Amino acid sequence: MSNRIMEIERDHSLYPERMKALPGMPQKLYVLGSLPRDDIPTVGIVGARLCSPYGHRTAYHLARELALRGVQIISGMAAGIDGYAAEGALDAGAPSFAVLGNGVDICYPPGNRSLYDRMIAAGGLISEYSPGEEPLPFHFPARNRIISALSDLIVVVEARKKSGSLITADFALSQGKSVFAVPGRVDDRLSEGTNYLIAQGAGIAFSHEAILEELDGQALILKGESTRKQRERSARLQAELKKKASALSAEALLVLELLPAEETASAEELSEKLRLPIPSILSSLNELVRCGFADEPVRSRFILKR
Amino acid sequence: MFSSILSASVNGLEIHPVRVETDISDGLPQFTMVGYLTAQVKEAGDRVRSAFRNSGFFLPSKRITVNLSPADVPKNGSRFDLPVAVSVLAASNILPPSSLTGVMAAGELSLNGDLNPVSGILPIAIKAKEEHLRCLLVPAENFNEASAVDGIAVIPLRNLLEAVEFLKNGVLPNIPKRKQEDFTLNEYGIDFRDIQEQLTAKRAAAIAVAGFHNLLLIGSPGSGKTMIARRMPTIMPPLGTSECLEISKIYSISGLLSSDRPLIGTRPFRHPHHTVSPQALAGGGRFPAPGEVTLAHRGILFLDEFPEFSPSAIEILRQPLEDRSITISRQAGSVTFPAGFLLLAAMNPCKCGYYPDRNLCTCSPRDINAYISRISRPLLDRIDLCVSCSPVSYKDLISGESSQPGSAEIREKVLAARQIQLQRFSSSPIRFNSEIPPSKLPLYCPLEPMAESILKDAFEQHSFSARGYHRILKVARTIADLDGSDIICARHIDEALFFRTVDETYWKQ
Repeated sequence: MSNRIMEIERDHSLYPERMKALPGMPQKLYVLGSLPRDDIPTVGIVGARLCSPYGHRTAYHLARELALRGVQIISGMAAGIDGYAAEGALDAGAPSFAVLGNGVDICYPPGNRSLYDRMIAAGGLISEYSPGEEPLPFHFPARNRIISALSDLIVVVEARKKSGSLITADFALSQGKSVFAVPGRVDDRLSEGTNYLIAQGAGIAFSHEAILEELDGQALILKGESTRKQRERSARLQAELKKKASALSAEALLVLELLPAEETASAEELSEKLRLPIPSILSSLNELVRCGFADEPVRSRFILKR
Repeated sequence: MFSSILSASVNGLEIHPVRVETDISDGLPQFTMVGYLTAQVKEAGDRVRSAFRNSGFFLPSKRITVNLSPADVPKNGSRFDLPVAVSVLAASNILPPSSLTGVMAAGELSLNGDLNPVSGILPIAIKAKEEHLRCLLVPAENFNEASAVDGIAVIPLRNLLEAVEFLKNGVLPNIPKRKQEDFTLNEYGIDFRDIQEQLTAKRAAAIAVAGFHNLLLIGSPGSGKTMIARRMPTIMPPLGTSECLEISKIYSISGLLSSDRPLIGTRPFRHPHHTVSPQALAGGGRFPAPGEVTLAHRGILFLDEFPEFSPSAIEILRQPLEDRSITISRQAGSVTFPAGFLLLAAMNPCKCGYYPDRNLCTCSPRDINAYISRISRPLLDRIDLCVSCSPVSYKDLISGESSQPGSAEIREKVLAARQIQLQRFSSSPIRFNSEIPPSKLPLYCPLEPMAESILKDAFEQHSFSARGYHRILKVARTIADLDGSDIICARHIDEALFFRTVDETYWKQ
């Protein structure tokens, strides 16, 4: 594997233009896969590792929608928001990049193994640490400066008040990049950091269009074609879902109607509303997850899949 | 003069009759006890002499030898005081030696001649009945316990004088016998109706009991895990007389019966603390005594704070879960205790206990996974069902009359499912769905085609191990039995998948 790792010095022609212009950038980069292109708008998506289903959804969809419109997505390949953003971009069939806090030959966190492999195949992993170097705690704030340097814009999806994502936002500001934050409910700890950023004047990432508007026109050229593709795709998905829904049991259809899309619900809550016996609720919920109508983001709590 | 009387020694759950013989001969005044005795038994000599003096009897100034036969069986405990005293009295002609034929005695003497209760009276009474003895002398406080056995005359005694009065003149001490109606089986005083919420956990409890599946409850502090656990025995099949005696025998030998509670009329619920030692869990001691796994026989063994138990204690559970018995080998011999319990484990979702509520939980993803992986893997393989209890909402707390089924209703369904299993396994040694070996799964678990394809997809999606796959199938079998269905349908598999056990990806991120 080691022979596939490229070493790129600062004076190398491949060294990202975005980084050349900034102070404090590493002399050498190690790359597994490819580097993000300099001529395409790039968005960095970062956020909490332990995120909520809301953060999961938002990170994934933002990344996918942006990637569908030709935007490159960069993240830190951490658990949580970073990973979901990378997945969103890959699922859109677009390359996705990550800056790591360890040697690029190490998959950290180990749970992201499949993501790690997908990113090498379609996209790239970048690090200033030489192969074999362990993920030490102080590496992570440092790699955040490279994430922001490689991006034209940073989106913070969910962050607590004191979090690494806010460090990334700070780097982005000092490097002259735009910072967007996904708004959250005021009493959610995981949105304290993002709401604070908005209060400080960050852009509000309420939809992917808001971000596209901020980016320059290059991405927008692709927009028309891509939305048509997107529309076709979603129509196809709708038809598929409808076909699948006809195969659902009567109870499962009832449960599906009541399944909330914003928050997770437990079997007890659904049973109270539906007055169905608990065994039918339990089997219906599993049926819905199995058929792709619902998600089980944490054990025994369910949410409508979107 | 020579005399002898019967008593009994306890070895594991076995009772061995012991003959207590006394010989008084000429020689220097001396009181010797022989017969492979522990210090506890030898001390009987001192107690007997003081009890004699304080009861107004005087030992002859001769050489007194007491032998406990068979002399190659080790003897332990304080229950030989009474037979030694009576035998010495007969040998010194205070009692007619013939009065001791066909009599068994057990009891501890106080220095003033009073009799104190001893452990193991119930199985001794059963043994006395089996040996067709004339009567059994017991301390008054053991009367209720011993009289649970029909077919043997039990003589309750408060002190040594009453023993002499009875053996010499046949005078029965006036001690009231417990009324039969004072004792009823299966009265728990708690009911599943007391729990308003946690429908999912209650359902899991019913499935667990119906198919004898071990169950793991996961939930934050105060979500009602212990309340549910305590009510599990109330939905188990009611205790019959023979089971009641079987359980009571164990408790009698452990000294856990009293005159207020002479028999165990409910299924045991044992909940050892998480600092429990392997010996306390398995049983042990120089003369092996039953541990928690045996005390939970035919009931529930509840391990709260499951990941906090020491690995060496938890590993002990493997043999009993497999064989439903536990063998303990010590210097005094090796004994096998029954250990047919249903394992119920409970744990917090993470170290702080609040995951997945991110406003309260402060654990990192790593902490959370580390907490889950503290559970022993081999033991987890023996737990078929897993359910998480969500925190209780205010609305649930204040809602008045519960419309939820109570223990009696749930028990009826459980009994019906057990009946089906009884018929299904009538020609095999298997008793419950949880015991079906992998080779017999295709025979006992016919699947409808739809169910089969769901199971196949789930196998790939959740990357089940072979064991995990078998567990789902066995649980689905029990769910189908509760439903009264011969064939396992899609909805049964779906529900079984809902209760799938934890693995590394339990909190899928």
